[in-house]
Amino acid sequence: MAEILQYVHKDGFFHRLHPFSKILFIIVASIICILVTSIPVLLLMVVAMLVLAFIGHLHREVIQQLKLVLVMSVVFVVITVLTMPGGDTIGYLIPQSVPVIGGAIPITTGAISVGLVLALRFMVLIFAFQLFLISTQPRDLVHAMEKLRMPIDYILMFIIALRFIPTLQIEGQRIHEAQLARGYNPGTGMIGKVKSVAPIVIPLVSNALLRSNVLGLTIDMRGYRTGVRTRIRERTFSGGDYAMISGLCGTAALFGIVAFALPALVF
Amino acid sequence: MIELADVSYTYPRTVQEALSHLSLELAPGRCIMVTGPSGAGKTTLCLAACGILFHEYGGKKAGIVTINGRDVSAYTGLSEIAKDIGIVFDDPEAQMIFTTVEEEILSALEYRGLSPEEIEKRLASILDLTYLSALKDRSPHHLSGGQKQRVALAATLALGNDIVILDEPTSELDEHATRRIVSILANLKKQGKTLLIVEHKYAHFRELADTIVVMEHGRISAIGTPEEVLRDERIQRIVIPDFTGIRDGPAPVPKEAGPAITVTNLSYSYEEVCALNSVSLTVNRGEFVAIVGENGSGKTTLVKQFNGLLTPTSGDVEILAKNTKNCTIAQLAKDVGLVFQNPDHMFFADTVHDEVAFGLANLGIADPEKVIDAALGEVGLLATKNLYPRWLSRGERQRLAIACVVAMQPEVIVLDEPTTGLDGDEARLVMATLKKLQQQGHTVIVITHNREIAERCADRIIAMDQGRIVSDVRAVN
Repeated sequence: MAEILQYVHKDGFFHRLHPFSKILFIIVASIICILVTSIPVLLLMVVAMLVLAFIGHLHREVIQQLKLVLVMSVVFVVITVLTMPGGDTIGYLIPQSVPVIGGAIPITTGAISVGLVLALRFMVLIFAFQLFLISTQPRDLVHAMEKLRMPIDYILMFIIALRFIPTLQIEGQRIHEAQLARGYNPGTGMIGKVKSVAPIVIPLVSNALLRSNVLGLTIDMRGYRTGVRTRIRERTFSGGDYAMISGLCGTAALFGIVAFALPALVF
Repeated sequence: MIELADVSYTYPRTVQEALSHLSLELAPGRCIMVTGPSGAGKTTLCLAACGILFHEYGGKKAGIVTINGRDVSAYTGLSEIAKDIGIVFDDPEAQMIFTTVEEEILSALEYRGLSPEEIEKRLASILDLTYLSALKDRSPHHLSGGQKQRVALAATLALGNDIVILDEPTSELDEHATRRIVSILANLKKQGKTLLIVEHKYAHFRELADTIVVMEHGRISAIGTPEEVLRDERIQRIVIPDFTGIRDGPAPVPKEAGPAITVTNLSYSYEEVCALNSVSLTVNRGEFVAIVGENGSGKTTLVKQFNGLLTPTSGDVEILAKNTKNCTIAQLAKDVGLVFQNPDHMFFADTVHDEVAFGLANLGIADPEKVIDAALGEVGLLATKNLYPRWLSRGERQRLAIACVVAMQPEVIVLDEPTTGLDGDEARLVMATLKKLQQQGHTVIVITHNREIAERCADRIIAMDQGRIVSDVRAVN
């Protein structure tokens, strides 16, 4: 089972970067992709993320999530087609030949364009966060967040939320198997699907609550919340960091210049 | 040193005392093994001994607990108590906070006010002591149960405390993994550590334990050296599971002769890992078969093929002459009932009755009320029919899981480690129930780490190793 957003132990370009450099990478990528509305520029950013993943030897992990990202992208496009008609009509979701409701949902160029922008932004954000999370040990993340003066309780909450994604995945799989062995039928139709959720979700939540109690006690009994930490094996800035920061500053500056001088290119 | 003086405790919203006037002294350098039925208060005793009960839980409390002479109530909180005591809970998965083994231990060491050199030295020594050096870069999700338990223990040892409390550290582990934990604990004892261990595996811990404490209904019902405690026959049955005579019941009469399960050249791979390698096997109707082997030997992968949860990479599995490749899981569920190791993975209903009714409704079985009563009666849980399943003790939940499957009236009943976490009496009750089901004509297959269960209860013992059947023998009296 592929583990979502979990640290992968490797020695690559991204792994050697200081968490601060990676946080800056996320900030720059997020701001640019949110401001940009040009589909070619967003496509270029998606390609850049994949190239960076390849350089950091993380392409396998990023590609593993591609299916989920593509499904979500299609959902974005469909939702915008349904909710934001605009521009020229190029067809209808329900053919006009269908009596009464035919031609009710037009597919417009404006909706497709907005949907694609949203989908590409989503891809850039997901890939950027994934590169950050799978290349950063939670310990380094704790150190970086401590330096940013975030309260330790919030840091631990963030780390644990990430850490327990695969645990819940595995637990959900086991519960699903246990119920299938009892002739459980995952249901059809909307109501059937909702009803059939209970045999999976109730044990999953009950077990997770029990587990969270043990987890909370473990955190306290290891003194994470109040102890004074000895600084050991902390990341220091290296050549890769300076290269990354220079690249990010350059990209941000270039974006600023293009945005002012040739706004039609990016907006 | 820990001292509990006349400690009583009642959990919030309950009336029965979980601990009742309990007094116990754990002297420095000594090892106490606490055992007893599920629901006897063993985990509550652990929580009381390390002060968690007094600082984190509501409910009614009485009595005094002192750690090294200091009243636990005088500590400012758990973080201060953690300077004197380390505790390892029974769920190792819930104690893994970070993403590699080394990170888990290092993070615990960082908060002890040690110099970086001392931290590196201690890290190396703990990895060595817990046999984790070769696994230090692995993610907790890719570790076996025994390895996870060792990581949880290692992170606790990183705190450097002289007193360590362990709640069922080996409950889900096989023989090899259990021996490793015992050997680590024996080394800790040699180093002068004080140990309080809740355990059911007396055979593994008898050398290590200076004192055995047997708990029942929140009280200590026996305390002393192993020899002293075992003089009482009733106590002995709780401490040491006795499966004598279970196999000696009348010979079962299968409704029809012939094979229930036929496995031919079965191979199965998880991604690139070969979990089953050319396994062939025939289980006849009415047989009681035990499948034994270490963790990762392919036992669970094999039985998941019987009800279609997994389908062969190559080879065939036939259940009552039907090839599993041509059947859905729901169809196979009518013929093969599978009870997983952890019963809590299946319970979601509000009452014991509804929990059993779920499987019957899925299969459309007629006259469910009669069937539910019969199944609950079979496992001795008729009186709990209207209770919430998760309120039952571990042994009762295990029997309820069996009832849920029995009610579906499958020809074959498969159980994965049905005695995990049970005391001697409960384990015997579960195995006797299975024997009764065999006598009613069911084919029973039990996966177990426990050789004694296999030898005392089953008619046939199949041993697996690295995805292959390495021996298949008839049990002898």
